Amino acid sequence: MRKSIRAGWISAALLLILLVSSACTAVPAAAPAASEAAAEESSAEPARLVVAQSVDVQGLEPSNVNSRAESNIFQHMYATLFEITASGAIVPYLAESYTVSESGMEMTFKLREGLTCHDGEPLTAEDVAYTFQRAADDANGFTGNTAGFVLDAIQYQDARVESDLEVTIVMGRYSSPALGLISEAYIHCKDSYSAMSLEDAAANPIGSGPYRFVEWVKDDYVLLEKTPDFTLREVAYDEIQWKVIPEASTRTAELIAGNVDIITNVPPDQHEAINNSGNAGVTGVAGTRRMYVGFNQRAMFDDSEGGQAIKNTAVRVALQYAVDVPTICKTLLAFECERASSMVNPPNNNTNLVAYPYDPAKAEELLDAAGYPRKEDGTRFDITFMAGRGRYLNDVAVVQALAQYLTDVGLNVDLQVMDWGSEFVPALRAHEVGPLYFVGTGGGTWSAVYDMSDLSAPTAATNYTEWNNAEWFELWDQLSDARDPESEKVITDKMLEVMYNDPPWLFLYFQPDFYGIAGDVNWQPRRDEIVDLTTASPQ
Amino acid sequence: MTTYLVRRVLQTFVVILGVTLLSFFALFLAGDPTYLYVSERATTEEVAATRAKLGFDRPIHEQYGRYLVGLVTFDLGNSLRSRTPAFELVLERMPATLELTLFAILFATLLAIPIGILSATRRGTPLDGGIMLFAMFGQSMPSFWLGIMLILFVGLGLRWLPISGHVPVLEPLLSGDLPKALANLPDALRHLILPGVTLGVFSLARNARLVRSSMLEVLSQDYVTTAKAKGLSRFTVVMRHAFRNSLIPFVTIIGLEFGFLLSGVVVTETVFSWPGVGRLVFNAINQRDIPVVQAAVVMFSLLFVLLNLAVDVIYTQLDPRIRLS
Repeated sequence: MRKSIRAGWISAALLLILLVSSACTAVPAAAPAASEAAAEESSAEPARLVVAQSVDVQGLEPSNVNSRAESNIFQHMYATLFEITASGAIVPYLAESYTVSESGMEMTFKLREGLTCHDGEPLTAEDVAYTFQRAADDANGFTGNTAGFVLDAIQYQDARVESDLEVTIVMGRYSSPALGLISEAYIHCKDSYSAMSLEDAAANPIGSGPYRFVEWVKDDYVLLEKTPDFTLREVAYDEIQWKVIPEASTRTAELIAGNVDIITNVPPDQHEAINNSGNAGVTGVAGTRRMYVGFNQRAMFDDSEGGQAIKNTAVRVALQYAVDVPTICKTLLAFECERASSMVNPPNNNTNLVAYPYDPAKAEELLDAAGYPRKEDGTRFDITFMAGRGRYLNDVAVVQALAQYLTDVGLNVDLQVMDWGSEFVPALRAHEVGPLYFVGTGGGTWSAVYDMSDLSAPTAATNYTEWNNAEWFELWDQLSDARDPESEKVITDKMLEVMYNDPPWLFLYFQPDFYGIAGDVNWQPRRDEIVDLTTASPQ
Repeated sequence: MTTYLVRRVLQTFVVILGVTLLSFFALFLAGDPTYLYVSERATTEEVAATRAKLGFDRPIHEQYGRYLVGLVTFDLGNSLRSRTPAFELVLERMPATLELTLFAILFATLLAIPIGILSATRRGTPLDGGIMLFAMFGQSMPSFWLGIMLILFVGLGLRWLPISGHVPVLEPLLSGDLPKALANLPDALRHLILPGVTLGVFSLARNARLVRSSMLEVLSQDYVTTAKAKGLSRFTVVMRHAFRNSLIPFVTIIGLEFGFLLSGVVVTETVFSWPGVGRLVFNAINQRDIPVVQAAVVMFSLLFVLLNLAVDVIYTQLDPRIRLS
């Protein structure tokens, strides 16, 4: 008995040691063999590009795409009528041309001939109309970008088939960004989708783009392969694997180890490790997200010193000089940025406007002149500054720096950093953050009006400041009469000048985006956060 | 025994009801979930329309009532994000989480027992001091830090083990594909070691201390002195007479351990990109995907309660003096 107990323990210990050691030694033993085999068969194996993002898709329903991480994958599976290029141009894709009716409320698209969906069915005007009708059908309950934003933004009324290759989108009003917005709708074929339940459709994507769906292992990866007969794109990789790696340092380790080719959202503190690895490098681009401090001018803040003060245009202008934006970018975001002079992304901005420089002495002088001198305790007025935590690049450090800059010119800042999802967003949407708040709103490279639509009305959902400059909104109304880019540009430039002189925001920077890219991959990231891998190729 | 079991099963229902009630209202305390399902440019009308689509416009007690009716009929609703049945989502990820937690429990248990015994039988020696120092470190290290250190040194530096990812074994096994499960096993083990160790180190350290103190207490009992006086070998005294009795507090903790490890998998699964329930729930909480959170809560509660019931039954086998009633 005694012997059997002792033998049992020894056996268990040996088994454990054996399991652990065999597992640990498996890699060095197998790796060379695997790499040799891979080298021998490299000509036969498909070229695979592995990309790691932080979040998985929630489903594979093209009308329910809710995040950039999802749309990055979907845009490779689904084509759109037109597409927005990296430089912001809107160019034909599935459609070869479009016309706008005299009223400006109908856009008719002419499709290219010979298009097919991934199920082999011809892609016709009926499929395009079905895409919009399906997204707009309340019974489907979609809340994604197409259903929840694009259709509302263009005031979608109907989609009408004119012929096999012509389809008309009917809108509630003319809107110059309509073409760009419609270019966000993923076109899918009626035959397959009308035959599927919503649950089946969310698991079996049948696309129309350069890559087709192969496999989705939830919370692990999505695998796509090149669509053999897709002629609208030349792509270099046979397969793209979108891996989900939530933790940034794990993504970095996988990139350095050579297990992934591209990683997104690289935090500044990991740039050095990647750049020094010899296997990969970090590429940063100034994104299109406009980061700013809003001056909320709602009456609910009137009973506070700060709420009263920021109603004064002179105070809002003075505070523009108080903040050293390039230093914030350099030290906290590891990026050499230029300060924004308006809410519009280059190249659509008013180039005559020069960003406010950092000049704290001038800020103090202007605050004195505005009637807010320093009091005996050295402060000018108390003000609350609200921000969410964890949404933007190094957001907490940035707001702390901003609060310090404002303190330096005499403001007594009460910085309140809140949970992003549960506290800050509901208050922001209700326009109840402030009087100062830090936020970033998405923009684009393709339309000044699109960027400016945050402030389409004094009570617009995204006009969190409820800024109400009469001249701005008069000019906004004039935009609907401007049907050519030149006359639109004259108006938008004028509007941006109005905003510059009566700022509703403390203009900061366009948030940089950082990507880690393996040394053997040729790929240039875009400014608009879209990860377009059709332009990637082996080095 | 039967009466006891029936009573415990009835208590299980009450516990699950209480847990679902708390988690349901806690999610609503964290703000209106509708805002997470609309574009940042959505108008007030669009927000209201989405709220109605998602059913959040109904009174909260009505929403909870509907949920309970669904629970009774095993229909926990669809995920608000993915549109697939919430319970299926949880079940899909459960094998990966079970693999991880079972590995961590095995790691923490199989090593803790010999380490704890060794430490107790060598009390006061440098070996005992070293083991207790390790135990203190093991309980002090945050799992996310340990995970990242293991990735950097073992995964990236030494290249001994994979940095992240998962190779399934339980999932093919449960679906009847034994050859695939066996073929995956070696690679699955390689992928399991780093996250399993990360998850299990705290438990290993705590269990080793527990076994040590329990063993020391038993070793000071009169019957152990008698056994020694009879001339029995040290091994026999420890393993035959002291070991079994020292296990009672350890078995208690094993039942709770499972719940503890399940709560710890969120961090470990995130660091190692492990596609389990922990990450699913973490994302669902962030997105206020209430059906998914509730499905996971029900599943975890059920597992936890049943495991503790099993532990109570095992008690009777370990210690004949204990009778369930």
